[in-house]
Amino acid sequence: MRRPPIAAALLTLASVSPSAAPAIAAPAQVAEATLDNGLKVLILEDHRSPIVSVQVWYRVGSRNELPGATGLAHFLEHLMFKGTPTHGKGEFSRQVEQSGGHDNAFTTQDVTSYYANLAADKLELALALEADRMRNLLLDAKEIDSERQVVMEERRTRTEDDPDGLVSEEMMSLAFKAHPYRWPVIGWMEDIRRIAPTELRAFYDRYYRPNNAILVVVGDVSAEVALGHARRLFGGIARGPEPPAVAAIEPPQIDERRLIVKKVGAQVPIVNVSWHVPTFRSADAPALELLSTILSEGRASRLYRKLTYERRLALGAGGDYSYFSLDPNLFWLYAMPLPGQTPEALEAALLAEIELVKQELIPAEEIERAKNQIEAGFVWGHDSVHSRGATLARFELLGSWRLADGYVPLIRAVTAEDLQRVARTYFLADRKNTAILLPADAPVAR
Amino acid sequence: MRRLLAVVPLLLVGAAMPPAAVAADLAHREVLPNGARLLVAPRPAIPIVVVRVYVRAGSAFDPAGAPGLANITADLLTRGTASRTGPELDRAIEFVGGSLDAETGRDGTALTLAVLRKDLDLGLDLLADALLRPTFPEDELKRKAADIEAAIRRSDENPEAVGGRALARLLYPGHPYAHPVVGTVDSVAKITREQVVAFHRARYRPDATVIAAVGDVALDDIRGALARRVAGWTAPSTPDETIPMAPASPPVVAETISRELTQATVYLGRPAVRQGHPDYFPLLVANYILGGGSTSRLYTRVREDAGLAYSVGSALSPGRYGAAATVSLQTRVDAVGQALGLVRAEMTSIGKGPVGERELSLAKAYLIGSFPLRLDTTAKVAETLTAIEENGLGLDYPDRFKDAVARVTLADVERVAARYLDPSTFSSVIVGK
Repeated sequence: MRRPPIAAALLTLASVSPSAAPAIAAPAQVAEATLDNGLKVLILEDHRSPIVSVQVWYRVGSRNELPGATGLAHFLEHLMFKGTPTHGKGEFSRQVEQSGGHDNAFTTQDVTSYYANLAADKLELALALEADRMRNLLLDAKEIDSERQVVMEERRTRTEDDPDGLVSEEMMSLAFKAHPYRWPVIGWMEDIRRIAPTELRAFYDRYYRPNNAILVVVGDVSAEVALGHARRLFGGIARGPEPPAVAAIEPPQIDERRLIVKKVGAQVPIVNVSWHVPTFRSADAPALELLSTILSEGRASRLYRKLTYERRLALGAGGDYSYFSLDPNLFWLYAMPLPGQTPEALEAALLAEIELVKQELIPAEEIERAKNQIEAGFVWGHDSVHSRGATLARFELLGSWRLADGYVPLIRAVTAEDLQRVARTYFLADRKNTAILLPADAPVAR
Repeated sequence: MRRLLAVVPLLLVGAAMPPAAVAADLAHREVLPNGARLLVAPRPAIPIVVVRVYVRAGSAFDPAGAPGLANITADLLTRGTASRTGPELDRAIEFVGGSLDAETGRDGTALTLAVLRKDLDLGLDLLADALLRPTFPEDELKRKAADIEAAIRRSDENPEAVGGRALARLLYPGHPYAHPVVGTVDSVAKITREQVVAFHRARYRPDATVIAAVGDVALDDIRGALARRVAGWTAPSTPDETIPMAPASPPVVAETISRELTQATVYLGRPAVRQGHPDYFPLLVANYILGGGSTSRLYTRVREDAGLAYSVGSALSPGRYGAAATVSLQTRVDAVGQALGLVRAEMTSIGKGPVGERELSLAKAYLIGSFPLRLDTTAKVAETLTAIEENGLGLDYPDRFKDAVARVTLADVERVAARYLDPSTFSSVIVGK
C-alpha cells in the first residue's frame, strides 16, 4: 500500500461490517463498455451522496514477477504517485485533496488497484489523472532511489518487525515451491534494494496498458457522461501487446511441510496450518468459503467458541480462504496460545477441528448462520461507493462483474455433505503445511 | 493484507474531529423522557441499520487503582444478559449476519448494533438487554480478564502500542488519560465483579448517553422502538461525575524504550486545544499543513524527499478532558536522528513563516471539501452524530466548521503554529534501539 491507513478516530472503534463478503448492484444498473484499445469500463450510478469513487485495477501483482525481482509490482505502485510530464511529483494527490478527496493504492498477489474518492463534480479530473499515468509515468532514477527507501521502511513495519507478518511470509514460502505466491507481495528486502530503473520501466510498459486494466466509476455521476469522459481521456491510449500469462503451476505437495521461526521481541507464539485448495474456478470454492466462515467468522464460529471461549487454549484463533485468488491458494488456520498453553496443544486443537468436520456433518444451524453472515456481508458491501466499485472490479477480474449475481446462490446451495467432502478431499495429513513462530531470547548485549 | 489487525494507540486519533454534511439533513434530534439524547438519520436505499449507543463511560472514569474497569465492563455487556448467556447472544446476532459489539475509548464506550433492516427488532432487543440488563457472570469476568491480560502482554511486541502508552503517561501526569484504556496486567487481574456492577450502575445513565440510529429507518418507527425498550431506564438522582481537565503544561520529557527492532517508532506530543477554543480551527489548518495529508510538509520532506519513512504525519486529538497535538513517524533505527532533525525543523519553520497561500488554500479546500467522504458509510454517520452531540458541538457544527476553517488566515496559522507546534514544547518517545 502506498500510504499507511489513516489512524482511526478515537470514537471510530467498532467494526460494523459483519462479514467481508462482497456485494453488487443489480445488473441493469451497471453500464459496461470495452473501448477499442481494450480498456474495460464499468460505471454504476449511485446518487446517495455527492461523491464518486474512481478506480483503476491493473491485472498485475506479485504473481507476475520473477525470482530476483520480487516486489516489482508493489514498488511500481509507489512510483505511480511520482508524476508524469504533465502532472509533476505529488500533483496527483494535491489535486485530489484540493477536491476534498482521498487517493491511495494497494497491491496484492493478483492485482494492483488505484483509487480516488472525491467530490462527484471532479470526476473528469480523476479520470484525467488516471489516464495520464497509465502510460506517461516519469520513472525518474532519483525518485526511484528515494522511494526505494520508503518501500524498505514499509517492509520493516509490516514484516521485519511484525511477528505476524513474518510468519505469514514464511508460510507462503513453505507451502509454495514453484508458483510466485511463494514470495511476499512487498518483495524480499534484497530485491527491493537491487531492482533497477530499467526493470521498473519494462514492467510498467508490459502491464500498464488499457487492455490490461479495468476502470470502475461508482457515484453521483451520469453513466453516459462518465462513459463519454472515459472514451475521450483513455480512448487515445494505444493498446499494448497482451501481457504474458503466468506459466507457473504449483506441483502437487508430496508430504507435509513444517517450519519454526524464532523472533526476538515476539511475546506470543503463533501457530499456522494450511492446505493447498482451489479457488473460484472450482466447484468446491463455495463450500470452502462457507467452511472458512463456519470455522472463523464471529464469536459463534467454531474456532473462537471452542479454542478461545470453552477450552481456554487460544488468545485468538481464526482462518482465511481466498475465494477470489486467481490461482489455487491456501486454506489457512491460525491461533495464538493463552499464557500457560503450548503451541503443540493449539496445533492439535486446530487439527482436531478439521478432523471433526471430516467425521461429523456440520449441524444445519451452523451452516445457516454462516450463509446468513455471508449474505449480510454482501448487502453491507453496498454501503459505500468505494466498496461497490471494488466489488465490481473483483468479480470482473474473475471474468465478469456479472459473476457477482451468482455468488450468494452458490453459497446458499452448499450442503453439509459438500462441506464434509471438501474437508476430506483437501485437508490431508500428508498435505499439511505448518508454520510456527516462537518468541526468542534477546541476543546477549554486544 | 492477510488478517492484519491494526492496533491504533488510542492517544493518536484522526487528523480532525470528523465534521459532517449539511446540518439540516444531518439528523433529527430529541431528548427522551429519561434524558438520553436520540439522533436519527434516515439513509434509505440499502436495507441496513446501525444503532450506536454512546455512553460517557470511558477509561477516564476508571476509579483510582482500577485502570481497565470501564473497558472490561463494556466487554462484558454482551457476555450474558437477563435473557441470554453470552454464547446464546453471539448465536442470535450472528444467525442474522449482524453484530453487536462494545468498544471503549478514553471518554466513552460505544455499544454498536449493525443489522439488516429486516432483523432490526431482534437487534434492538439484544442491544437493550446488553445495555440495561447485563448480568456480568463471574466466570465471564475471569475469562475476559485473562483474555485482556494476554492481549496486553502480546501488545508489548507492537511498537506503536508501546509508544502510544508511553506518550500518554508523559502527556497526562496525574490524570486518568495517563493509563491505558485496557488497563494493565496487574490492574485487570484485580478487578472484581462488584466493581463492574457498581461501574455499570453509576456510569450507564441515560443522561450521559447519546443514541444514534442511522440507515434504513423511519423516524417514528425507530423512536417508538427505542423509547419502548429504554422506558424503565432512569438516571440516578446523584449528579453526574466530572473529570478534571488534563494538565495544561506537563513537563517536557524525552523517553527511549529499548527494543530489538529494525525500525524505530517515534511519537512527539504536547497539550493542544479543543473545538471550543478560538485557536482550534487555525491549529487544525496548521496541523494539516504540517503533517495532515500526503501533500503536507512532513510527508514531503521526510518521506518524498528524504525517503526516511513510510509512515509520518501529525494529528490533533481533542479529547473531552484534554487535547493533544502529536507527530509520529517510523524510520530505520540508524536514521532516527536525521529524521527527527527534519521533523523538528519543519515544526519550527511553520511557526516562523511564511506559510504560502497555496498551502493554506489547499488545506482549507481539503478540510471543507472532504465532508461528504467522511460520511460515506452508515457507521461513519453514526459515529459523527454521537461525537458531535457528545462534544456539545451542535447539529449546525458542519456549517460552523466550514465557516471557521474558511476564516483562518496565514497570520492565524503562523501564530498558533508558533504556540502549539514548537518542538521544544513536545515530549518524545522513541521505541527502538
